[in-house]
Amino acid sequence: MLSRTAEYLYWISRYMERAETTARLLDVGYRMSLFPNPSGYNNEWESVLSAAGAIEGYKNKYNTIEQRNVEDYLFFDESNPSSVYNCILNARNNALVVRTSFTPESWLAINKTYQEILNLKEKKFTKSDLPDLTEWTIEQVNLFRGSLSSLLRNDGYNFLFLGLFIERADNSARLLDVKYFVLLPKPQYVGGNIDNMQWSILLRSLSSFRAFRWAYDGNITATKIADFLVLNNNCPRSLSFCIQNIVKHLNNLTCSPEKVGRIYNNLKDLNSKIQEEKIETIVEYGLHQFVTQFIRKISSVDNEIHKEFFN
Amino acid sequence: MYQSESVIRNHYNNINDWLDQMTSKVILEKNAEAESHFRNIGITFSTNNETARERIIPFDLIPRIFTYTEWLRLERGVIQRAKALNAFLADIYNQGEIIKASIIPKEIIYKKKSFEPSMFGFSPPRDIYSPIIGIDLVRTGPNEYFVLEDNCRTPSGVSYMLENREIMMRMFPDLFHNNRVTPIDDYPTRLLQTLMSLAPIKCENPEPVCVLLTPGPLNSAYYEHSFLSDQMGIEMVESTDLFVEGKYLYMKTVDGPKRVDVVYRRIDDDFLDPLCFNPQSVIGIPGIMDVYRTGGVNICSAPGAGIADDKAIYIYVPEMIKFYLGEQPILDNVETWNCEKEQELKYVLDNINELVVKEVDGSGGYGMLIGPKSSKSSIEEFKNKLSTNPKGYIAQPLLDLSFSPTLIKNQVEGRRVDLRPFCLIGEHAQLSSGGLTRVAMNEGSFVVNSSQGGGVKDTWVLAE
Repeated sequence: MLSRTAEYLYWISRYMERAETTARLLDVGYRMSLFPNPSGYNNEWESVLSAAGAIEGYKNKYNTIEQRNVEDYLFFDESNPSSVYNCILNARNNALVVRTSFTPESWLAINKTYQEILNLKEKKFTKSDLPDLTEWTIEQVNLFRGSLSSLLRNDGYNFLFLGLFIERADNSARLLDVKYFVLLPKPQYVGGNIDNMQWSILLRSLSSFRAFRWAYDGNITATKIADFLVLNNNCPRSLSFCIQNIVKHLNNLTCSPEKVGRIYNNLKDLNSKIQEEKIETIVEYGLHQFVTQFIRKISSVDNEIHKEFFN
Repeated sequence: MYQSESVIRNHYNNINDWLDQMTSKVILEKNAEAESHFRNIGITFSTNNETARERIIPFDLIPRIFTYTEWLRLERGVIQRAKALNAFLADIYNQGEIIKASIIPKEIIYKKKSFEPSMFGFSPPRDIYSPIIGIDLVRTGPNEYFVLEDNCRTPSGVSYMLENREIMMRMFPDLFHNNRVTPIDDYPTRLLQTLMSLAPIKCENPEPVCVLLTPGPLNSAYYEHSFLSDQMGIEMVESTDLFVEGKYLYMKTVDGPKRVDVVYRRIDDDFLDPLCFNPQSVIGIPGIMDVYRTGGVNICSAPGAGIADDKAIYIYVPEMIKFYLGEQPILDNVETWNCEKEQELKYVLDNINELVVKEVDGSGGYGMLIGPKSSKSSIEEFKNKLSTNPKGYIAQPLLDLSFSPTLIKNQVEGRRVDLRPFCLIGEHAQLSSGGLTRVAMNEGSFVVNSSQGGGVKDTWVLAE
């Protein structure tokens, strides 16, 4: 497989995953905006922008934070590299180059999505369209993921999934972090009703609300949710699940065992640590510190994948 | 489709019945379905403006049909021509017998920009310079075909031939149950076999590694590049994926370097090797020509193959067929006046109202004058151009291209068509069982190029 093909495949699934995260973040903002805005809390749209890593770009373009503009900036704006539109555009342009390593189904899934977002972009949307846009995005990304099941289980497949889980690991970690340090700046709110409401919105935005209910009995508590999103191997968005899958797809690569070995060496500590860790220890140590370290580690793994395989 | 006024030729009867049953509503729906299919698979023109919607070529639902016997003659004629063109290339880059025999004046060949001096004295595998040749044909009567143009470099359009069939089979399966249409979907396999049969001498691999070299996504034929590599199961590479080390060509893979035996290149000569051709080029592979000349890799088509489809060389193709193959040409050339010659220029200037004048290096239907259809002022403009730069032009009579039934606003109307079948030459010479039919969608128009409002049709060859 061409190095460039591997790189493009990796990025296609990163972009598709990111499109979903951005859409889900918008959904979080939308839900929060339906609740009264208590003092002591940051503006929910500002939090959403921070979580999407788009706050600076947004402020360069707009003076005030308004729902309508945030929606437009995160969904359609061409100057925002992480807008749903740009993610889909980039995924599609990459797919155009590597369609030879794809099945026609996967190409169709991405290209149809692209054709549809061009239509959506031309239409003017209203505030109440947002849930539809989010739903549409999630549906499209699911179509894409579903189409991957038709692929040959070769290295291309593994690079696609490496991209997917690297992106998801990063996104889940950032969402966790945002919840803790942006949404809730004042310690006295921790554990309160509003705190719990925000946690449950976070769960919803990760499409994990029902799953959480099934996995844990009783009250929704911050510790349980942190356990669910960090350590629970059954939760497909948890950090540990992502790491497990990164390790799995890395080891499934048939090319260059020595390159795989080098990356794995860097990753295996994180993997074993996260498999053995107790949530209480992490909370005691500080969730924020833990998550920050995690994000840094994921980024270094991403760098290594680029260095070893894509150059 | 019609023999004469309103008498339907036999082999179109089925299609006529089929058309009769279709209501305008169905036609509209099917047109929309075809358009959305083409958009979804991405068979579009890319434009430089990324946000603009990509264009698709209009697709006409009514197939163009050839009978088995009609096709047999075309097949023999096209293969004959393709063989002669390759023999010509092998000759002029070596002994130059055709020049010694005073059939073609040497200045016509050696002064052309498309002649590649670095190819002199080198013979590619099997002496095949141009393994994929697209011949543009028009029909002017029941058994009258003329060759308009040969395409020996990197003819495009074959993906349309295949996708047009695909969409027709998908939308109208019954048509294919009721008609015996020769399949064409083995074309990519045959193309791959052709490329593999042209492996270079130093290739050690029983299954030579072939790649398709594309200039990248901004190229207007990019869809075709990815489509063909996909169908052949070979890598589609850009020049940055390739590099030369020692006497071989390699591609960069996740496993490390992998040797490449055959490059099916879809980029122009100028961009192949900055060391040999265009030092300004950023999209070449430095050193590839050296590897090529020492038998480490084969480049298809060979650099310098373009001289064979030059409009000034075209005039001599019938002579080539006689000279190299000792056969009579099966397909005719269009009578052509070479404005470079004083006498012929005079004739062209005197009769310009009746003629079609084309730029020698033009393509895409641009830079041409259709005398009978042009205004006085544009005729004057061309007269000036001809007088100042006679060697830049040729002229031909305006051919009465055949009409093919075409759906225009739900009505069947006649529109002019041409045909480009694709000929493969490697270990064997063979013709696709079909081709790309282009149709001039505008009433009365003679120009079938997609850049000028042309559309496409599925092209059927009926089985014996």
